[in-house]
Amino acid sequence: MSSAVTVRPAPRRGWRADSFTGVRVIVWLVTAGVVLTPLAAMVALAVQGDQFALLGSEDVVVAARNSVVTSLASAIGAVAVGTYLAIVLDHTDLRGRAALRLFALSPMFIPPFVGAIAWLGVFGPTMGVNRVWSDGFGAPLWNIYGADGIIFLLTVHSYPLAYLIIGAALRRIPSDLEQAARIAGASGVGALRDVTIPLLRPALVASFTLTFVSNLADFGIPAIIGLPERYYTLATLIYRSIQSGTVAAPLSVVSTIGVALLAMAVVAALLDARVNRQHTELDSTAVVRHRLDLAGARLPLSALTWLAALAITVLPIVALATQAVLPAPGVPLAWEHLTLDNFGRALGLRSTQVGVRNSLMLAGLAAAICAVLGLLVGLVTTRTRARGNALLNGLAILPQAIPGTVIAVGWLIVAPTLGLFNTPWLILVAYVMAFLALVVQAVSAPLRGIPVTLEEAARASGATQTRALFDIALRLAIPAAVTGGAMVFLTAVRELTISALLRSPGTQTLGVAIFDLQQAGNYNASSALSLLVTIVGLLGIALLAGRERN
Amino acid sequence: MSRRFAVSLAGLALVGLSACAGGDAPAASPAATDGAGDAVSGTITLYTSEPQAKVEELIAAFNETHPDVTVDVFRAGTGDLTARIESELATGEVQADVLLAADAPTFENYKDQDLLMELDVDTAGLLEEVVDPEGFYVGTRVIPTVIAHNTTAITTAPASWQDLTDPQYRDQIVMPNPDVSGAAAFNAAVWLLNDDLGEPWLTALAANQPVIADSNGPVSQAVASGAQPVGIVVDYLVRDLADAGSPIAVSYPSEGVPYVYQPVGVFANTDAEAAAMAFADWLVSSEGQQLAVEQNYLPVRTDVDSPEGAPAMADLELMEFDLAEVQQRRTEAVELFNRLFQ
Repeated sequence: MSSAVTVRPAPRRGWRADSFTGVRVIVWLVTAGVVLTPLAAMVALAVQGDQFALLGSEDVVVAARNSVVTSLASAIGAVAVGTYLAIVLDHTDLRGRAALRLFALSPMFIPPFVGAIAWLGVFGPTMGVNRVWSDGFGAPLWNIYGADGIIFLLTVHSYPLAYLIIGAALRRIPSDLEQAARIAGASGVGALRDVTIPLLRPALVASFTLTFVSNLADFGIPAIIGLPERYYTLATLIYRSIQSGTVAAPLSVVSTIGVALLAMAVVAALLDARVNRQHTELDSTAVVRHRLDLAGARLPLSALTWLAALAITVLPIVALATQAVLPAPGVPLAWEHLTLDNFGRALGLRSTQVGVRNSLMLAGLAAAICAVLGLLVGLVTTRTRARGNALLNGLAILPQAIPGTVIAVGWLIVAPTLGLFNTPWLILVAYVMAFLALVVQAVSAPLRGIPVTLEEAARASGATQTRALFDIALRLAIPAAVTGGAMVFLTAVRELTISALLRSPGTQTLGVAIFDLQQAGNYNASSALSLLVTIVGLLGIALLAGRERN
Repeated sequence: MSRRFAVSLAGLALVGLSACAGGDAPAASPAATDGAGDAVSGTITLYTSEPQAKVEELIAAFNETHPDVTVDVFRAGTGDLTARIESELATGEVQADVLLAADAPTFENYKDQDLLMELDVDTAGLLEEVVDPEGFYVGTRVIPTVIAHNTTAITTAPASWQDLTDPQYRDQIVMPNPDVSGAAAFNAAVWLLNDDLGEPWLTALAANQPVIADSNGPVSQAVASGAQPVGIVVDYLVRDLADAGSPIAVSYPSEGVPYVYQPVGVFANTDAEAAAMAFADWLVSSEGQQLAVEQNYLPVRTDVDSPEGAPAMADLELMEFDLAEVQQRRTEAVELFNRLFQ
């Protein structure tokens, strides 16, 4: 213990033990263990299983092609929709922007697999719109099953995130630039096209890679929309191989496929990093908001955007509600047939109750563990100086760029060795790995913003480094950690991709319980549960809106 | 995103949960029916392909007789169950005590691997066909696969398996995937081995391009909703949907119906033998079979009547098959099926 008063967390040369070393070592071990163990096991099994020839087999090639096609197309779609929304909502005088924003964001509050169940009620071959259309024109308008339906649904469920990223970037672009272009004679649209949009490129690429990777991993949508037409993606192929034993030695087969998925994610991450290196941060401290005058286009654009946003919010809810109150498929929608039995039946099932309990427990524990571990990772990487800090930070946020399917496969492989096989804790550790980044990112900025002087004052008064860090930085960052933890909770409580692969007797989550009802063909009950989940999600929006108003 | 939101989400979910808990909690039976006082107790894990709602009803009814036995259920398609059992065997031992799932060949395989325990079950009054002569498993309900049709879309129902190859049914048929459904895999083998049907019939059926749904549940839904108005599906689901009001009806094909009988077996490594045996015994008892009939299944007991609207067991034309041959050639049949119906 040095008696000299350190003026700041001094750059340390070489490795020197201090009172904080213990904390640092534990944080390192836990983070590395949670993140690297499953990945290493998966790669090792893939290499050792030597099934790489399998990557050339027809099933895998077709599924890989389907995965790439649906993820690419939907990521492009999401970025296009997100850019459009960012521009019209944040950059023009479109009518009713504030309310429109909430409607446009609504798919983010609904789990993708619930969205798939809902849209099936709109565009299923004999459902909703198609039923009406068939009566009038003799053939369905559009059958949602298959590739186009998967692309549509993945786009719907990923454009809100793209919009948030692009919108945030757009707000940071000083409007002086556009004004300069206007003074130099450019039209409003011309300035937007030639000045603002090129400056958005890093955000466009970032949102593209993020949605590409998350769509690559999505399981619920391709399972519900693709499997009935035998349209496999890598995520559903992995699920089938493991759950139905359609291949011999499923684990080494899926680990091989997992490595292929990992490779795709790495390519996406490298692309992102490459573009972001060229990116220079714009100084936007004094942004003068200047909205583009839509003039004659204002009314038609407003109407069109409103119509689309309402359709995307309202249609699936109406479809879910319709299915939820009808007793059986094929029963016409009429007053005398309506019933609430489906709700009672679906909620009365033990599998649903266990699912709700497991989801709340796992999401709650994952949120708590991520909040603590994420806070400590943030503390170590932002408030101390050590050689491995950047690496530790990278390690903690790495899983964000890894498809959830890969995370699940990795844990599935190490489960028997760790004694986690057939336990809910397997899902818990996978959640911690998958969602740790949410907390680390939430706490990093506030931690960096805490003045060093506070800690110096503590050290000057005799506190050890650990004490100073814990009493000052850690405490000040707790609200951010709680917010991060809440995000983990919200993400985990409605999760399906990971828990579908890691399920075992009695450990089904709410997502798995709904998915099972859907797979078993009990659409009326699954719609009833989906409707409840949707309503809870939309209440979230209402709360959010209420907060914004305050 | 707010903490308030998280809290209210959790709160809502809890309200939903508690509002419905207790709805179907097994009534602790005041009068255990027999005076024998052999209070069996323990906890068993059941792997089953029964529909979730049906298996939960079944356990509630079982608990009226045996209130001290807790039954934990894992429900999945037969294919998924066997995959799970295999992976459990690879890493240790089977986690289940009791298996209640689709078809006899699966049980024959486990018997051959010495994974099953000889049953201590009263088989008097049961159909001869459903009892394993060696006593390792016993059928619990007769589940024929039949032709279902949507009564709004189809006026004259297909009356035979041959009818389904008629070009008028092109793109109109839906059937389950043998990779997922044990009954479907079993049927594929029975059809293949049948002299009148065999590979030529399967080929002709494939030419009509049926939609291959995952399991029987989605098949019955597709027929009821009219997505595909004709389906090859297990019969009880059709009665379930018709009872609920769907425009769906069933025909038992003239060549006879392939059938499975949802055997029950107890794994040899069980640590709750008495409870597991009590469960198996209850399934084929008069009470168990009454419940099966209420759940729209055909019974395995000769002294219990078929559900309303179903043919009596004596009138039902069952498709004959040789169990050993079906077991032997099932994988081949599934492969053929997957090749033809891609």
